[in-house]
Amino acid sequence: MVLVINGAYDDSGHEDPGHPERPDRVRAAMAGVADLHLGSDLIAVPPYTASRAELARVHDGGYLDELGAFCYAGGGDIDQDTYATFYSWSIATNAAGAGLAVIAELQRRNDGVGFIAARPPGHHALADRAMGFCLLNNIAVATAALLSQGERVLIVDWDVHHGNGTQQIFWDEPDVLYVSTHQWPLFPGTGSAGEVGGRHAIDRTVNIPLPAGATGDVIRQAIADIAEPVIDAFSPTWVLVSAGFDAHRLDPMADFQLTSGDFAEMARSVATFAPRPGRLAMFLEGGYDLDALRSSVHATLSSILGRTHEAEKLSSGGPGADHVARVQRERLAALEMLHSTEEEETTP
Amino acid sequence: MKLLQTIVVGYDGSSDSETAVRWALHLANETNANVTVVHATGMLEHLHNRFSRDEAPPALIALARECGFDEARLRWLVDDGDACSVLLRTAAPPIDADVLVVGARGHGKRVGLLLGSTSLEVTEHATTPVVVVPSSYVDR
Repeated sequence: MVLVINGAYDDSGHEDPGHPERPDRVRAAMAGVADLHLGSDLIAVPPYTASRAELARVHDGGYLDELGAFCYAGGGDIDQDTYATFYSWSIATNAAGAGLAVIAELQRRNDGVGFIAARPPGHHALADRAMGFCLLNNIAVATAALLSQGERVLIVDWDVHHGNGTQQIFWDEPDVLYVSTHQWPLFPGTGSAGEVGGRHAIDRTVNIPLPAGATGDVIRQAIADIAEPVIDAFSPTWVLVSAGFDAHRLDPMADFQLTSGDFAEMARSVATFAPRPGRLAMFLEGGYDLDALRSSVHATLSSILGRTHEAEKLSSGGPGADHVARVQRERLAALEMLHSTEEEETTP
Repeated sequence: MKLLQTIVVGYDGSSDSETAVRWALHLANETNANVTVVHATGMLEHLHNRFSRDEAPPALIALARECGFDEARLRWLVDDGDACSVLLRTAAPPIDADVLVVGARGHGKRVGLLLGSTSLEVTEHATTPVVVVPSSYVDR
């Protein structure tokens, strides 16, 4: 099976000295790809800049205008976490376009797996606001493009932070199923189990918040027990992954204890949700320890491509097993409440 | 209109946020209201926690004493998220603020009209009355 990646573009202008979201991250991720030694099975598509119309499917026009103007005025700190420079608009629109280009190539081939190593990351970006290092929501832009073609999209977000932007954008969209495992409490403070989707998309959001120290065994159990039945019922035509690697035990931004082996195992599991080859693409989100990022990208892609690889052992024994049952109870209670409200409203 | 019972004020350690807290404490002294001071913990703060979740920072305690505010009516809260979302969540029930107080700028260096301006975003989305205390405010 081939691996389709986005072509390299110059992202060096989006950098703030000392900030962990930096160009070296993409270099580390690409080193993980190079370690696969794929030869002619590695396909790099040319860089593509997302158009305003493609961005406007998920972002407010006023926000796009403001962000572009802010960057071209020289940029600065947008909030306590998020920065932009003169070059950030150009780089962010290339990052958003990278996913579109990779998906188009997968559609053309009807084969392969996509990996988008682009930055800045996207899953915290709201329709009308930058936050959490994110300016434009790359995976949401790609999802919206697929929706416009009549597809049903599963988004699996295994970044250690909840993807509040992606959840918000598709909150009431019945053709998108958003599944997130994340540390809680942690930034951005959203992603409780009781958040299950909007009125027109009940049970299209599956949040699995887990405590600091959680290990791979707990996350695997949570996905199997809570997410898989919902995914099976949803029956996606595409699977996109917000593949953050900051849940790795060495990452400084959070406190999960995953290993590269855990990412490989999660990837193997997530790949089974795709209906056929050429319908799975992974978007780089977080991941700030460069060695962990490189080894985790390598293990993840090796696993999906069915290649032998060396990875760290699976982690186990951390806290959170009791949380899985609690998350399920909270989800079911929220769903019951929404359904009963719906019944009350439709009863004459 | 009911009397003021609960004031929520944002704090990030900046001089602007101290000015906002000072204004809120004076208002609370006049109205006998309780004050909840909230700090929003962003992503980067995981690298270097600036504030304890359990104890109010010494600068805040000093400010309360300076304003002659009864510390028993002062509540310190740290929540994860961007400043705007955290302020709005805190002002909502169960705390149910009567007024939400923010500084004009805080740590941000924002230059545009909308992007990144916590005070403007809060004003736009809040259902509680919002007071934006200007940087130049001086106690009289």
